[in-house]
Amino acid sequence: MRKREDDTLETPITSMIDIVFLLIIFFVVTASVDKDVVDESIMLAQAKNAPAVEQSDPRTVTVNLHKNGDINISLQPLSLSQLKQMLISMRAQSGNSVPVLIRCDADTQFRHIDRVMQVAASTGLYRVRLAAEATGM
Amino acid sequence: MRRKPPEQLAVPMSSMIDIVFLLLIYFIVTAREDIPEAHLAVNLPAPGMAKSGEVKPKMLEMQVHANKLYLQGSEKPVAEIAAMLKYLGSLDPDQTVIVQVSMNARATDLVTALDLCRAAGLEKLNVVTLR
Repeated sequence: MRKREDDTLETPITSMIDIVFLLIIFFVVTASVDKDVVDESIMLAQAKNAPAVEQSDPRTVTVNLHKNGDINISLQPLSLSQLKQMLISMRAQSGNSVPVLIRCDADTQFRHIDRVMQVAASTGLYRVRLAAEATGM
Repeated sequence: MRRKPPEQLAVPMSSMIDIVFLLLIYFIVTAREDIPEAHLAVNLPAPGMAKSGEVKPKMLEMQVHANKLYLQGSEKPVAEIAAMLKYLGSLDPDQTVIVQVSMNARATDLVTALDLCRAAGLEKLNVVTLR
């Protein structure tokens, strides 16, 4: 009788741990995906009609552009000439169809965006994209 | 003496669970929700492009200034421009839209303009800087 009571009091811990571990693995895996490319502090402009991008070209160069004109790629700050060097080497690696994605703050003045575009164009990369938050659909 | 062996065999579960829960909470909190992103194509005028078309196709001209949009030379509210673009887009979705952007325009203005063209089915967009 005593032994039986002990048995029923025990919580089924093993299965719970299994689930918790699975959850942890899930979060670890999803957290590490493309986190390094995106600058979280940038608030994108909103686009109501454009569809959300499911899958972009894996070669895409993502340029983060701040309100004050600061540029960074993968959170590494770059000057315009460094950006140019970077784009030139990207072009040498994978051809001139490499898309350049500009993720700029909604309040960025066009003069800053224009400078990045000019650099892209001067290196021969003409597939420039502007990131926006897809709010519609 | 008899009771001792089973006690030693038991793994100290509760402390491990504590740590595992802490890890779980950490990852839940740091996981960022995915914002759906739209990528609006901006076609920069390539040097070779201008020469290829001898006959100039019909073009729409749009100007983007800070908080102001102009279509074919006149300033109009966004809703009106959206309606006009929809109409023009339904007439000929192949026509090119030249989007001229002033230096003082903000990214939102440009995104709005590109987005409106997209909504109207106009895919051939050219972004030009107003100097």
